[in-house]
Amino acid sequence: MTDHLSGPPRRGFIKQAVAASAALGAGAGALLGGADPRSGRLGIGGAAAAAPELKTAFIQWQPHTVPAAWSKGIEEVLKNQPGFQYRLLDGQNKVEVQVSLMDTLINEGTAIIFLQPIDSVALAPSINKAKRAGISVITLNIDASSQHAAHVEMSHYLGAMDIARVMGEKMGGKGDVAILNAPPGIVIRDQRTKGFVDGMKKHHPAIKIVADQVADWSRKKAQDVLATIVAARPGLGGVYGVNDSMALGAVDVAKEKGLLGKLVVFGNDGEKDALESIEKGELTGTQYTDVYQQGRFAAAAATMLAGGNVAASAVKAKARLLMPYLIATRDNVRQIQPSQRW
Amino acid sequence: MRRSLSGAGALPVFFAATFLFFCAVAPRFASAANLENLMAGYAFIAIVAMGQAFAILVRGIDLSVGAIVALAGMVAFDASLILHLPGWAALLLALVAATLAGAVNGLLVVGLRLQPFIATLATLAAYRGLVFAISGRQLVPELSTTAITDPWIIGLETYIDLVGALNLPDTWSLPAIPMSFVAMLVLLCLLQALLSRTRFGHDLRAIGGNPEAARLAGIAVGRGIVLAYTLSGLCAGIAALLLLARLTTATESLGTGLELTAIAGAVIGGVSVRGGSGSLWGPVLGTFLLGVVLLGLTLYGISQFVQQILTGAVLLAAVAHARWLVRRHAAGHPAMEPA
Repeated sequence: MTDHLSGPPRRGFIKQAVAASAALGAGAGALLGGADPRSGRLGIGGAAAAAPELKTAFIQWQPHTVPAAWSKGIEEVLKNQPGFQYRLLDGQNKVEVQVSLMDTLINEGTAIIFLQPIDSVALAPSINKAKRAGISVITLNIDASSQHAAHVEMSHYLGAMDIARVMGEKMGGKGDVAILNAPPGIVIRDQRTKGFVDGMKKHHPAIKIVADQVADWSRKKAQDVLATIVAARPGLGGVYGVNDSMALGAVDVAKEKGLLGKLVVFGNDGEKDALESIEKGELTGTQYTDVYQQGRFAAAAATMLAGGNVAASAVKAKARLLMPYLIATRDNVRQIQPSQRW
Repeated sequence: MRRSLSGAGALPVFFAATFLFFCAVAPRFASAANLENLMAGYAFIAIVAMGQAFAILVRGIDLSVGAIVALAGMVAFDASLILHLPGWAALLLALVAATLAGAVNGLLVVGLRLQPFIATLATLAAYRGLVFAISGRQLVPELSTTAITDPWIIGLETYIDLVGALNLPDTWSLPAIPMSFVAMLVLLCLLQALLSRTRFGHDLRAIGGNPEAARLAGIAVGRGIVLAYTLSGLCAGIAALLLLARLTTATESLGTGLELTAIAGAVIGGVSVRGGSGSLWGPVLGTFLLGVVLLGLTLYGISQFVQQILTGAVLLAAVAHARWLVRRHAAGHPAMEPA
């Protein structure tokens, strides 16, 4: 059962807004009662009426296409399992909010928590607390420094090495490259950057990385940053965006400056817009991961842990799954089916 | 005069009503574990809100408190994991850094006569940049996966077991009191006494109420404003240490957006944005009201996106209530109970 996510999103949003307003209004009215957001009944205690057997929740980092696709994959699996409730919670890009949400889910008696930690260390005490409460935690993309049930991850480092290999081939093994990067302090950023740098050293040592500028994961910021880089280095041969949004920003600049076809641009993630851009011959390539599938794998692990009554304390070592990936270019992008595009 | 208009007397009633409402309708809201979560999750924000109240009291605002939290956290992180200083020294250094950062804000406002909004917006960016520059996680990458273990720092994240301490039967279920909550209460008592019972506190209210009149009355207005921002920085530093203990690490983005929550807590708590009026227990209660609403709605099953809208609505309601009180007073109605 996925009561919080079922139905058209807009209608659900309005319904929740009305229910929440009713709840607070009732609070202000000194316990006059509230409306159950599910049944619409008036009265106290209705919210707990249809409690499912097993609660599961996903605490995302912040709203983005990647966690949205994970959530869809998780939900697809869990809705077919009897007795599971699932909901998506937003970490608001704040580690302290994620910690508070972890505490709330532990208090609620949640059976399984899917977590995209903002920081590997900062969430470790919360994960340990969950484990002591018998709750299994499955991390997505960013691992935690404490032992937990399972970790399902895109291949950030190895994938970035492969991006460097293919990108270098497209550049003929020589030239200058700029990196459009995320702000420092994020594990994914470091792995995707290190993998790319190491990949260039290994496969194409003649290619120089001449700029590594922060563009905040943003398409707009990437446009501004790359325009400045191109002005300073008109002979730039390639651009690597550590996510697709920044790579698409680079494509925008290439179009504007008449560099389309001359500038080799690679992204990372493999979101729908990037794949369409590759098909149009604009973006050169990206690392594609089936993120729906990543969510499904995490949910499959959850159903086995919870369905098999495997206590969190019984897990001796974390299971780790690296997702398969494809370096998508115009030559192979059509292999990715519409149902696999997120 | 404005003090009597703050309307903060309505806040405890609204807080109690909201709390009891969620106790009745939200599953597991009225549980010891949830009360622990509320205390541990919002004590450090309440401390930042108290500091923010000082800035607002002198007709200012401090947008840099979130960045100061990050700065103090990173100073302690570096001192502990790179310089290997003892925990007490790391804590002290962090507090000094935060207090200095607050003082710089005050000096910019007074010395350069900058609008507080502009001055602290600039230092928000500057302090956040400084955090990246000194980040031990960047200087020594493996430290990004290393937890702080110094007992002086981690010891701040302890809980007082009331059942054991009071020798109560094991069947009783009482929340364990987080040390961060105790620290907040102690700081509240000290700062409230400073504000209500000292000449300095009266001077701050006078400066916020009418700076020109305060100057004519012989009050050192500039010094008062600098000290108000210094206290705001100190509070942010204390909050950073509590957060550091809770997370066992510091990140470059620590405290992002915290300034907005702190301002919301202070305004909901009855601190007048016109300056000169407000208490410190108000911002504490205002912050915990936000906590009650957010935790209650989460446990009730309401989407977080709706929760954020509701948080804005609570803030608007608080401001509207304050304006209503001002108009009511202007119309000659009897004043509300004192703050």
